Amino acid sequence: MLEVRNLSKIYGLGEVEVRALDGISFTVADGDMVCIMGKSGSGKSTLLRQLGLLDQPTLGEIILDNEVVTELSEDARAMLRLQYLGYVFQEYALLAELTAHENVYLPGMMLGEKGIDFKGRARDLLELVGLGRRINHYPKELSGGEQQRVAIARSLINNPRIIFADEPCANLDTISSKKVMETLVGLNRDMKVTIIFVSHDPDDKRYARGLIVLSDGKMIKEGSQIQ
Amino acid sequence: MTRLLRVAAFLALKSIVKGNVGVIILTIFMLILVTMNLLFVPGLINGANASMNTILIKTYSGDIIIGPGGDKTVINHVDDLIAGIESIDGVVAASARNDINAYITFEDERVGRVITGIDPKREKAVFDVAESLIEGRYLDSRDRGQILLGVQLAGADLEDIELYSSSLRHVHAGDKVVVTYSNGLEKQYTVKGIFDTGFIQSDLQAFVTELEFNSVTPNMNNKASSVRVKIEDGTDPDRIIGRIASLRSGLDFQTWDETAGLVESMTESFVLINQILNVVNYLIAGITVFIVTYVDVINRRRQIGIQRAIGIKSHSITISYLIRALFYAIVGLIIGILAFKYVIIPIEARHPFEFPFGPAYLTTKPVYTVRMAFALLVVSLVAAFIPVWRVMRIKILDAIWG
Repeated sequence: MLEVRNLSKIYGLGEVEVRALDGISFTVADGDMVCIMGKSGSGKSTLLRQLGLLDQPTLGEIILDNEVVTELSEDARAMLRLQYLGYVFQEYALLAELTAHENVYLPGMMLGEKGIDFKGRARDLLELVGLGRRINHYPKELSGGEQQRVAIARSLINNPRIIFADEPCANLDTISSKKVMETLVGLNRDMKVTIIFVSHDPDDKRYARGLIVLSDGKMIKEGSQIQ
Repeated sequence: MTRLLRVAAFLALKSIVKGNVGVIILTIFMLILVTMNLLFVPGLINGANASMNTILIKTYSGDIIIGPGGDKTVINHVDDLIAGIESIDGVVAASARNDINAYITFEDERVGRVITGIDPKREKAVFDVAESLIEGRYLDSRDRGQILLGVQLAGADLEDIELYSSSLRHVHAGDKVVVTYSNGLEKQYTVKGIFDTGFIQSDLQAFVTELEFNSVTPNMNNKASSVRVKIEDGTDPDRIIGRIASLRSGLDFQTWDETAGLVESMTESFVLINQILNVVNYLIAGITVFIVTYVDVINRRRQIGIQRAIGIKSHSITISYLIRALFYAIVGLIIGILAFKYVIIPIEARHPFEFPFGPAYLTTKPVYTVRMAFALLVVSLVAAFIPVWRVMRIKILDAIWG
């Protein structure tokens, strides 16, 4: 379970304080699929980066399975990201020098759990996202939608508890967007992975069972799963 | 730790294989040049040193110099001593020398020098002076009234020699010079030959036969100011000295390098020049690796941010850059060392650098090569670490999105 308590992120611009997030609190149950929505600049991506432990909030706490993770060291947070969290970036964020297969198994190689065939698992995951025949292609040889699905496969390599997806379809055409969202829905349904994604497209609400709406860094509660 | 290294090696390999070939070749090329430069200067100094040392031993000092010990001025019963020395295993030959101060006059020039009395036959066995004649002939044991002069003393109208202005300037073989000995005796000599060894200290010498010397200083029969000993290559001079000391006590011993004052100061200057050039070379190597790594990490800052975001540890990323720097340095070193050994040295051997004391051949010493390689690897590692360390301190979000 992911619990967020009174989370704030304040940026200082000279003497001016900008509250990108202002006292956000909510809980996401295991296996849920939550959409974070809001206008541009409302704080959606900022919230997701705090949740994904890529940044540290100014105030408040993030509690993962009853453990406060906001105060952990950079190394400890890196370990948590590696073991429990997956992150899908808006801009695909694949490593250009690695093939699709290598991009997917790299985090598995880092975790290096004994007895896990991370290369085989990476192949399976690429099959799962429909790219079984593109595993030896480099990112520049893949379409935007394909790259994003590689990124999703990468986020799954270490069996994460939660996947964070930051506007995963922002740079994709309608068909590719549908494929990516259906892939995420399938993962949530079949593998029970908790998925929290950001979107500015109101239509994407239909993929989620929970909804968080932000406006000027503050949360507007919606959706039955959000308490 | 194994995982860290494995991921680091994987990232390094991929960045080398998929990296910019031009940048990789240019970096390695720079390190090849640095390596060859690091080998060239000491190689030349070693070659010049070896050349100088050889000529010093063969024309001036011999391998071992035996002097009268304590407050004595001469070695007595020198014939017995030489016979004893030459019976020692490892000794090639020994030659007795007697010195006396004198003035040599020719036309308007007058030069103060030491005249050395020698047995020409023994001297030929110890020294190579006889092979360096540029005029006339070498002394014969029965010669009287004849003198052998070094070119820096005779001048021989060679105005471009180093000490021409303080020489007798115009003396040639067959000319008559007047020698005024420190005991007051004045005598005219015919110059039998002039030698040019290429080593200034040797070419300032003047020789007469032992027979002639004894006629000038009769009380020096079977005595010597010094005995010069030539030993076989690879023989330990200290062992020979020990054996000679057991033959006769109270003697004073020096090895050739203890007499090499001028050579030593030249060597020290060379070593200093070498050290300065080495520092410059290591700086060039460090700056090359630093710039290449710096430009790379700046260009790939976002990629590094992504790697960190997906859980790749900072240590792995840092080590991957260090492995790359090691790769550049090792390839540069291997190619540089092989090129130096199998291309530069053979070419230089065919066209050696000519020094006043003779040709200098480039040489490499394994110990120096290993030390240089180690230093270059350390410099490369440090130079690569600094820019990577700076980028690793940037927050992940700043690295990815600026």
